[in-house]
Amino acid sequence: MKDTPLSNCERDFLLKAIEEKKRLDGRQTYDYRKIKITFGSDYGCCFVDLGQTRVMAQVSCELVTPKESRPNEGIMFFNLELSPMASPAFEQGRQSELSVKLNRQLERCLRNSKCIDTESLCVVSGEKVWQIRVDVHTLNNDGNLMDAASVAAISALCHFRRPDVGIQGEEVTVYSPEERDPIPLSIYHMPISVSLAFFQQGTYLLVDPCEREERVMDGLLMIAMNKHREICSIQSSGGIMLLKEQVMRCSKIASVKVSEITDLINKALLNDKTARKAGGRCGFAESIPQERITALKTDQTSVEMTGVGETVSSIVQTAEAPPQKVPSPLLPVPGVGQVGEGMRNTWGVEEEEDGDSSGGDSGEEAVKMEEEQHKEDKSRKVDVVEILDSEEEEEEEEVVILYPETTEKAKNKGSSSGQKGAATSRKQQKK
Amino acid sequence: MMEVSPSENVSLREFGCEQTLLSRPDGSASFVQGDTSVMAGVYGPAEVKVSKEIYDRATLEVLVYPKVGLPGVRERSQEQCVRETCEASLLLSLHPRSSLTLILQVLHDAGSLLSCCLNAACMALMDAGLSMSCLFCGVTCAISTEGEIITDPTAAQEKESRALMTFAIDSKEHRVMMSSTRGSFSVQELQQCIAISQKASEKIFQFYRDSVRRRYSKNL
Amino acid sequence: MFSVLKERVGDVLLPGDEFCCGPQETLSLTDSGKPERLVAGPGIRQSGDRLLVSRSGVLRHKEPNKFWIESQQRRYVPAKGETVIGIVTAKSGDVFKVDFGGSEQASLSYLAFEGATKRNRPNVQVGDLVFAQFVVANKDMEPELVCIDGSGRANGMGVFGAGGLLIKVSLGLVRRLLAPHSDLRADLEKLFPCELVVGMNGRVWVRAASVQQTLIVANLLQSCDTMTPSQRQQLFKRVQQGGL
Repeated sequence: MKDTPLSNCERDFLLKAIEEKKRLDGRQTYDYRKIKITFGSDYGCCFVDLGQTRVMAQVSCELVTPKESRPNEGIMFFNLELSPMASPAFEQGRQSELSVKLNRQLERCLRNSKCIDTESLCVVSGEKVWQIRVDVHTLNNDGNLMDAASVAAISALCHFRRPDVGIQGEEVTVYSPEERDPIPLSIYHMPISVSLAFFQQGTYLLVDPCEREERVMDGLLMIAMNKHREICSIQSSGGIMLLKEQVMRCSKIASVKVSEITDLINKALLNDKTARKAGGRCGFAESIPQERITALKTDQTSVEMTGVGETVSSIVQTAEAPPQKVPSPLLPVPGVGQVGEGMRNTWGVEEEEDGDSSGGDSGEEAVKMEEEQHKEDKSRKVDVVEILDSEEEEEEEEVVILYPETTEKAKNKGSSSGQKGAATSRKQQKK
Repeated sequence: MMEVSPSENVSLREFGCEQTLLSRPDGSASFVQGDTSVMAGVYGPAEVKVSKEIYDRATLEVLVYPKVGLPGVRERSQEQCVRETCEASLLLSLHPRSSLTLILQVLHDAGSLLSCCLNAACMALMDAGLSMSCLFCGVTCAISTEGEIITDPTAAQEKESRALMTFAIDSKEHRVMMSSTRGSFSVQELQQCIAISQKASEKIFQFYRDSVRRRYSKNL
Repeated sequence: MFSVLKERVGDVLLPGDEFCCGPQETLSLTDSGKPERLVAGPGIRQSGDRLLVSRSGVLRHKEPNKFWIESQQRRYVPAKGETVIGIVTAKSGDVFKVDFGGSEQASLSYLAFEGATKRNRPNVQVGDLVFAQFVVANKDMEPELVCIDGSGRANGMGVFGAGGLLIKVSLGLVRRLLAPHSDLRADLEKLFPCELVVGMNGRVWVRAASVQQTLIVANLLQSCDTMTPSQRQQLFKRVQQGGL
């Protein structure tokens, strides 16, 4: 899908407004939009709203073998996904230029700045280390995805807890959260990216450009910085010439913004921690704004059960009884069971698989099968046809019963659409 | 005769929904069932790629994004379940040679994910104002090892269950539009689960109605 | 005649809701001279003697016999005779390609402007805004726009846009703005003088005396969707007093 084109009049108006120090949403030049940080109900999940821009980050971990060049270090992996949900211009499964640029910037901002102690992620040197994976999903693009992504990623990393491990000799045990409390990552500092857009060849500067501002900007400067005023990465795109003083001024602006955002993240983390300690509910479900008319929530509701039993038994009873006789099994060769003369048993392969998965030991399996058969006998209403192989019988029965059911359905529907027909036939196939 | 008894607490976890929460998509919704939540966005009817063009109806694409990693087989099968349900309820022939894209982002999986996806999808399609012949909702039932039927199971209940089934049910006659099952169960159990799901769907459809009514409360 | 429907006017309906019109209604359909013929508008479909709702929204009625579902939508589907704001995306031969937010680009002939001849081509650049009317709009054909009315006059249509801002609002808001006695428009008029071009496709072009005022009007319009009339009037009053 194509994005809506930008008209000349919008471009002219935006540039004129910027000259007059006005922005579309009434912000001042150096203002950020409203930032909202929400944590999910599990560890390492973070939602960031930057105005209308929405981003979600999820951190996960896995034990892997380390890289040969760095046997004592854990691995950090970042993936920023430009989901088509965020903008019609984003396509699935295609690495666009923007995607590469944002991924690279996120890596430089968070991995190359060494903000996370990767050595603490080592479990057994050269053999087992933690790989920390950060997935950032864009949900809605209203400009400045980078800043939202960096805030979401670092907040999620701060929020994340990895499972505790114990080493006894060669044995590595991973403890579940019930056994031992999970451990937070050790984070040295929190780099945050600040985007500054330039207009008219660098004459005008705006912090946190929105989508339409991004479209008319001449260049973009992304500065990643922590609250100690250490620059972690800096990238200028768009090919504009900046003076040394301009870059210095930008870094000063960035340092102010970074300290504001860091405070916000810390506050959000603390808030979440107290909420968790108090045992209160947290997470996305709680963040749905109740006062909006577009939102609605219900409490837990029980389902009215009256009449369910009757309808079920009536359906089962009215369903045509399965044919009483099943063709007697054929034993052409010892060890082979076959139903229907001269026909290949199509259930053969599946049967084998079933057997494999249900029980490893063949002796045990036989006992189990017998038990199953007993159960079957008890539970079934229809006359039991004697077949020794219980697995086969069960399958046979399903097919037999399903057949009249589907035909009845088809009759009921009468003019059912093609899709529905396809759905029922699929159902049959599944069986 | 072994009668499967639905447990006393056949209930749906608290559920909630927010519509029009994203500015870019033509329709969007997030649906929450207990801790499980899914966000959905719809674009369309929009321009279609020539390779995907269908001359007499709209092309519906459903994309499911997992929370961690890239979409895999599990997501593909969920996509197919949701797509077939949507195709059955949407009036696609009204917009030939155009594309409808439905994107589902899993925000948290705490059980009954597929039914949550279906509910979010329906709300988003409704929000986008697309013409539909009927609404649909998803209900998941689990049968525990003791033979108890649990509706809207949590992740732990799903894990312990002997069988798990998800049905998409239409709003007009409460018929089953799609079913997806796992594990083994008897016909009796299947019918029982369908009957319970149909009962449960009434609650969800009432919720749909309430939330749409609330949404238009300022336009009355 | 349509008592079943009339009872529900103003109610919120959902896709799948059905109305059964009795046999007398079906009879009247064949009787073309009578005014009882039901006109099913957007969101309502007729199938035999039943009426099916296919969109969620509020049921509206216009005397004597028009019924439709009013919904809040964002994506535009073209309809013949409606006027929209389009963005020219390409010039190809004799036609301009115009994006109007639908599923396909519309074509706009260079002769479909007031006073245009083969020699005297209109001055239209890529990226310009045009206010135009659909002459062909159905699901099976490429939509076609013109910037002249039946008598060859511009009648307000054509290229425009200098000095204003284009914003996107919901289709419901556009219809409320264009309604004959729109209270929303009346409220806006009290604020300060401004120029509006409203396309049925949800695009609104705003120009006021200054950039600041244009921005205020644009932001007010975008927030109107989710406000009751009293909330809106309060907000407008605050703006008038210089509160914002």
